[in-house]
Amino acid sequence: MSLFDGWMEASSRAVARRTSRRGLLGSFGALLVGVAALPLLPVARGAGKPAKTGKSGKAEGGHQDATQDPTSCDYWRHCAIDGYLCGCCGGSASACPPGTAQSPVTWVGTCHNPADGLDYVISYNDCCGKSSCGRCLCNRNEGDMPLYVPFRSNDYDWCTGSSAANIPYHCSTARVLSRAT
Amino acid sequence: MTRTARYAALAAGLTLACRSLVAAAQLPPDPAGVVAALPATASAHWVWVNDIVFPHMSDGQARLVDGDTGRFLGLLSTGVAFEHVVLAKNGSVIFSPETYFSRGTRGTRTDVVTLYDPVHLTPRGEIAIPPKRAVTMPMMADAGLTDDGAFLLIYNYTPAQSVTVVDTRSRRFAGEIETPGCALVYPTGPRSFFSICADGALLDVHLDDAGHVSSRVHTRNFFDVSADPVTEKGVRLGNRWLFVSYGGTMHSVDITSRGLEPGPRWSLLSDTERRQNWRPGGLQQLAVRARPDLLYSIMHRGGVETHKDAGKEIWVYDLDRHRRVRRIVLRSLAGSIQVTRDDNPLLFAAFIGSSRLEVYDAQTGRYLRSVEDVGTTPTLLVTP
Repeated sequence: MSLFDGWMEASSRAVARRTSRRGLLGSFGALLVGVAALPLLPVARGAGKPAKTGKSGKAEGGHQDATQDPTSCDYWRHCAIDGYLCGCCGGSASACPPGTAQSPVTWVGTCHNPADGLDYVISYNDCCGKSSCGRCLCNRNEGDMPLYVPFRSNDYDWCTGSSAANIPYHCSTARVLSRAT
Repeated sequence: MTRTARYAALAAGLTLACRSLVAAAQLPPDPAGVVAALPATASAHWVWVNDIVFPHMSDGQARLVDGDTGRFLGLLSTGVAFEHVVLAKNGSVIFSPETYFSRGTRGTRTDVVTLYDPVHLTPRGEIAIPPKRAVTMPMMADAGLTDDGAFLLIYNYTPAQSVTVVDTRSRRFAGEIETPGCALVYPTGPRSFFSICADGALLDVHLDDAGHVSSRVHTRNFFDVSADPVTEKGVRLGNRWLFVSYGGTMHSVDITSRGLEPGPRWSLLSDTERRQNWRPGGLQQLAVRARPDLLYSIMHRGGVETHKDAGKEIWVYDLDRHRRVRRIVLRSLAGSIQVTRDDNPLLFAAFIGSSRLEVYDAQTGRYLRSVEDVGTTPTLLVTP
């Protein structure tokens, strides 16, 4: 239960920071590229729960600002992630943990970095080939679309498209691809 | 016989009598090897709680619970990244699209439809299918039967999109239908289904008796994907599929002799409720009941990015008048709901972040009971 409690709490905090998804969709619009990332994962936020602001209490990185902590669900790149954070699993926000394989196909999101005020295209590549990491579960849905718009949906297990990345899901990265224009 | 001897004889007699009584009251030894079985006919109030077991996805499960008693009846072990069972129309078999690896989480991937005996919950056989089954957050539209039960349709994603067709009569893989740009399966008749396409159109597919495509039509756009997309979590009532948008607008796809046609649109929300940020959400967020035709929707308050969030209320709507007729306040958060198909229906509610199943009277909303430990991450609720 603590896993999901933490997840719900982190998600609620994230809700606090979000504004209109409409604008995100706008910047998202042209990005139907097959380059991003990940996973499926339980959708478990607390409905009607008042959104909180502030730093994440669950992050491992020890940063004062959770939006700059890759082990926090509130990390700015995680605006549309859905799964276990690879930074908590022996990898990083951009690298897979040892012995896993990075999925060649992904889904992309556009996230705002408050540190420099810029928007970036983020590729949520899954790391695959082992069972679930089980650490730092995070689900945020800014710009997320239904399964019938695959490259904008975080409800697919993106461990697919190669024999090395074929279903068994371990964790998710959030790679910067480029500045969003 | 002396008095002492008489007492001794009496005592001995009483002891023997007591021993006999004790022996008569002793429990008989239990026979070895007894395995419970279920009744030949499933109760309308049973529910399969499907579980992807997210922290350990190689151990998918489907767990059976009796809604009337809260009794846990048994489970199926259903492999890696499990979505949900599909019950045969006549109740004679349970179909389960499953995936296995030769070394647990690695090695050769094998996809099968396992056929389970519904009385003994044992595998009765399996049908090999291409190792392409889509692995997603579990959705009811990942797999389904045609209306006569002759074909099982399974959505594939590799990321090429297609649908596997299994002939349930011959128990053989019948073929694969490419559905580029279109996802999931929504049955519409004995030989037909549609998929939803990324542009908001539908792919209307008809099969011949061998399970091969006899016609395929890419319709005009039914949904506005960019403005307010409908979720993929549709429910069917007769000849109408019902979908809800992120913003709470109901859309319908009518199955007619002229083909698929858009039905009426209406909102779950009044202007006031919309201002209060009420919104539908969840994983299996809608349920329907026939006669009277009612829609059940999980509701919560939150912004547009909360379109998957669970809720603490279920709002019930009259589908003829498009009016809300009841608000049910749940004891716990729910992301998945299901209503049984009988005349005294139960409403089941579960949440992926909890292991509890709650049971309500679907007609009055009255809480009936809770069942604990029904899974690790319960996802979809399937009723006979």
